[in-house]
Amino acid sequence: MANQVTLPRLGQGMESGTIVKWLKSEGEAVEKGEPLYELDTEKVTQEVEADFSGTLLKIMAGEGQEIEVGKAVAVIGEEGEEVSAESDDSAEGEVEDPTKVTEEEGAEEGEPAPEREEERKRGREADEPAPRPEVAEQRQDGGRVKASPLARRIARERGIDLSGLRGTGPEGRIVAEDVERAGAAPAVAAPAAAAAEAETIPLTGIRKTIARRMTEAWEAPAFQITMTADMSAAIRLREALVERTGEGEARPTYSDILTKVCAVALMRHRAMNALFAGDEIQLQPTANVGIAVAVPNGLVVPVLRNCEAKTIPQLAAERADVVDRTRGGKLQSQDLESGTFTISNLGMYGVERFVAVLNPPQAGILAVGAIEERAVVRDGEVVARPVMEMTLTCDHRSVDGATASEFLRTVKQFLEAPGLAL
Amino acid sequence: MPELTYREAVRDAMSEAMRRDDDVFIMGEDIAEMGGSMGVTQGMLEEFGPDRVRNTPISEMAIVGSGVGAAIAGMRPIVEIMYQDFTTLAMEQLVSQAAKHRYMSGGQVKVPLTVRTQGGAGWSPGAQHAQQLEAWFVHVPGLKVVFPSTPADVHGLLWTSIYDDNPVLFFEHRTLYGIKGEVPDEIDGIELGKARVHREGEDVTVVATGRLVHEALGAAEEAEEEEGISVEVVDPRTLLPLDEETIVESVKKTSRCVVAHEAVVRMGFGAEVTAIVQEKAFDYLDAPIERVGSKFVPLPFAPVMEEFVIPHQADVLAAIKRTVGKK
Repeated sequence: MANQVTLPRLGQGMESGTIVKWLKSEGEAVEKGEPLYELDTEKVTQEVEADFSGTLLKIMAGEGQEIEVGKAVAVIGEEGEEVSAESDDSAEGEVEDPTKVTEEEGAEEGEPAPEREEERKRGREADEPAPRPEVAEQRQDGGRVKASPLARRIARERGIDLSGLRGTGPEGRIVAEDVERAGAAPAVAAPAAAAAEAETIPLTGIRKTIARRMTEAWEAPAFQITMTADMSAAIRLREALVERTGEGEARPTYSDILTKVCAVALMRHRAMNALFAGDEIQLQPTANVGIAVAVPNGLVVPVLRNCEAKTIPQLAAERADVVDRTRGGKLQSQDLESGTFTISNLGMYGVERFVAVLNPPQAGILAVGAIEERAVVRDGEVVARPVMEMTLTCDHRSVDGATASEFLRTVKQFLEAPGLAL
Repeated sequence: MPELTYREAVRDAMSEAMRRDDDVFIMGEDIAEMGGSMGVTQGMLEEFGPDRVRNTPISEMAIVGSGVGAAIAGMRPIVEIMYQDFTTLAMEQLVSQAAKHRYMSGGQVKVPLTVRTQGGAGWSPGAQHAQQLEAWFVHVPGLKVVFPSTPADVHGLLWTSIYDDNPVLFFEHRTLYGIKGEVPDEIDGIELGKARVHREGEDVTVVATGRLVHEALGAAEEAEEEEGISVEVVDPRTLLPLDEETIVESVKKTSRCVVAHEAVVRMGFGAEVTAIVQEKAFDYLDAPIERVGSKFVPLPFAPVMEEFVIPHQADVLAAIKRTVGKK
């Protein structure tokens, strides 16, 4: 088989050479290592040895012709072997660039002196292998977070978890800047923190339930009505109840009084004590009042049953127990079932009035604000009275405005004159 | 302040000491009539005469050995080893005699000897005449090792070395002899073990010695202009004792470190600096410490190969960029 003889690179920076003289002629036998031709490079003229043994079948570069490094200059093969015309392509596929050669010639003629300086420059600029192999991928394994010592120290000092950070340093390493950006995000005002990523909280457990239930609630056609109750009598009632509370017993709260009066009012306006069941409305026999309790990750509504039949101290005891269990995460599923009405009280936060979202399929939910001293008119006189605003949200599929108003008026009357609830 | 070349600054420090102090004399191969192979001692024979500017036989062992003896006897000799490659021939005298007598005699004997030598590549001296061997001597307790990079530093540090009561290996760089710089009117010693911060910066510290101080300063300028990287360049000047505090404080400030010298990287002086920095500033490092130096091969004679092997400004710049995460 025929082998191409290509122009070798005899030194760094050598781009081309001129064949001064062929030392063998076509058809002549050649031994590997035997001088084949004389080559003139920029620096020297030297003999070039044959790389293969065989017969010099074809000389492709004539004497005096300048050839680029890597280009074929001859073919050595077996005697009589055919040499195809296509085979004179460069083995390395180098592209010819005639202008380059001209420039180099010019430069050498113009500046004969700094020959060594030019050589030195080539050495300085010679490509070097990368000093360190990039092993980023392999180093990621083992679950070890790659972070600089400084980044680790800052994270340790500020209580930042490195595993949640993305490294922007070399090889994906977490560097100080990454940690500082993460640490600054919550403390800095919104515009400066724009570059930081939002914290992601997966929607799981209780929040998923809240999202689903509240979205369902939003589908119900709801309306709201508001009344304000004078709480003077209710305050006296609570004081009397608290006075009578024994050691270790739950102290009655306004919520407990509300639970009781709502329960009695529900029994008198049973249309409000209803569940909407798609094709029917179910009026419930007992007032099972749910009370909204805030927990760290959301809101739950444990239910107190048969409230109409219980005393306020009994309700206080049950409420205290269920709230404790709610906050302790010890609720059982039946604690949350069978509710017929819900009370949501944000009075303790100083909220004056708010609108609660329905708790389907219940017909109503009462949103209760804070008890506040306000200027009210009594017998033509402006006087200060402790008042409380209540907003009732109703499912219009179950109840109408008049029914709701009658119920709410009863609640108001009971709060202002608790004896009426007897 | 007069402007002197690095070569003239060396000569000036020696001459001034010899003018003031009869105990100081110089000794070495071809340093008298010839003025030294690097021309450092030119004119000194004329000024000080053959008793104080002494040519020696070609025997480094004898040069250093007689220097040790003269020092013990109360003189302050300055001996010249023509190329630092030849210190290998005087190793016993340097490592086991000069470095040890003060300790072994319980302080009864002092060896105030200064051994000047030079080296450095960039002019095709070949594999046996341009090695950078300073790290070898930093490994020897009992020696002091100085490697100045500017005329002012070589001037002040040589003065202090001559008057130090311990043997000092004083390394000069061949390619720096011609550089010029201002030196004080009145010669003033520079304390051994104090680094010079040539340039202050915020992003990365380059600890460089000898010729590489200048390459590092060039790289720092380039990094600042092209990439906005603020580079601090620290020259320890004295390798033993070493001003660890200045280096460590600088790295604590910048969080990144590059060490650069012409000697080969492996087991070079930079390896020691790297170890010190990681020990004393580990929690301040925001990137691996980069080392710049010669490739691990005997220095080639061919200019193109020599330049390929030794480090340059571009190598320092590339290392700076790696520490800040830029390609």
